[in-house]
Amino acid sequence: MEETKIENEAVTGELLPADEHEDLAVNKSSGIAVAVLPEPTSSNQRFFLRYIALPFSFITVALLGGLRLNGADSSLIFLKPPLLCLIFSAIMLALFFRAGLIRMDGWFSEEFSMLKNLANGAVLAALFAATAQLFNSLLPEQGLPFWVVGFCFFWTLWNNLFAEFDTKKLLRSLGGLFGLAFVVKYLVLANLTAPASDSWLRSIFENPGKEAFTWALDLPRFSAGTGYIQFFAITFYLLGLFLLPASTRDSDHHYEI
Amino acid sequence: MNEKYIQILGVVLTFLYGAFVVFLYAAEPRSLEEISMKARSTVESAMTKGQVMTGTYEIDSSKFNEGLQAFRQDNFIAARDSLSRADPEKRDAKTQFYIAYSFYRQGWGRVSNDDALFKQALESVLRVTTIDPNFRSDDANLQLRTPAELRNELEEGMKVTIDDFNPLRLVRERK
Repeated sequence: MEETKIENEAVTGELLPADEHEDLAVNKSSGIAVAVLPEPTSSNQRFFLRYIALPFSFITVALLGGLRLNGADSSLIFLKPPLLCLIFSAIMLALFFRAGLIRMDGWFSEEFSMLKNLANGAVLAALFAATAQLFNSLLPEQGLPFWVVGFCFFWTLWNNLFAEFDTKKLLRSLGGLFGLAFVVKYLVLANLTAPASDSWLRSIFENPGKEAFTWALDLPRFSAGTGYIQFFAITFYLLGLFLLPASTRDSDHHYEI
Repeated sequence: MNEKYIQILGVVLTFLYGAFVVFLYAAEPRSLEEISMKARSTVESAMTKGQVMTGTYEIDSSKFNEGLQAFRQDNFIAARDSLSRADPEKRDAKTQFYIAYSFYRQGWGRVSNDDALFKQALESVLRVTTIDPNFRSDDANLQLRTPAELRNELEEGMKVTIDDFNPLRLVRERK
């Protein structure tokens, strides 16, 4: 209706020659400046989080995961992860992909620049290292407890691999799994371990029960500070997982937790 | 900051921090003070290996001269220490020959030889042969100038034969 009305009205303005009209267009376009909007701050924050904070957090876990303090003199002990930890780490990454915590096509794609693929690869490599070291932290170092806890981990991960998971359920399950393993190793087993002592005979008289458990279960004598370090390692890891985006595609931000 | 620069920064920092963690687990320092000490030795070792790879490896001549001086004063332990530090990669035939010779002279005895030291001497002599099969020492003070002569002397010294009971052996001289 509106258009018909306009068409019916008489044109009262002067008509301009074609060339003059073009000049005006040129003049107008020269007056238009292309304004480049700055990148939004939230976008920069997202990139900082994804490419700097997350790898930093995961590599810190990789650093702390194998760190123990000697019970006798509190010297540093760096324990390399056993092969089992690498296997568990690989299973965990498979779980992350299955549950949609990480989407493969959202992290690696031919559409991305090589630099972006490389940066994403560095983040996921840091995640793999952190996961391996987290298992190194939570698995007892040797003896029967190593195999018992290792089997429990394997059983849980294997079952999870075939279960239907969503991201939130997976994170809750992992939080529970790691929390329980932490309690077993750094509260239960640590309290069964006799403190380091110069005299073997004296330690038997002072802590006969703990000495028996330490000997029978082959428990290493670490300083109490080890538990605190590992607590922060697990916290950093779970925080990193919580902040990890499912996809790094700019159009997929709604996938981020 | 542009996304690209953040990605570059992220990759570089991740690599550096990861390398630091790998270094810690490889070096296994027992205290925070030990970290810098181990880092220095790791850097020195890496630089020497780099020199070997690029073909610019040279022995430390001042340490070699110190070792030679100690060798001539029959201070064999100090001599080996200096010579080993002069050639940390064990790639110089002359230095390795002196190390072998120091083991021989230290292990030599008028009545009996020290087999453990002679075995170490043999290992060093074999290394000389591997580095330079035609090696010949220009030191006039050494009676055994080639690896073959030294190896023969060492092997004979480790064997138990009827000659070992010859009383005239007590008047023989160290070479």
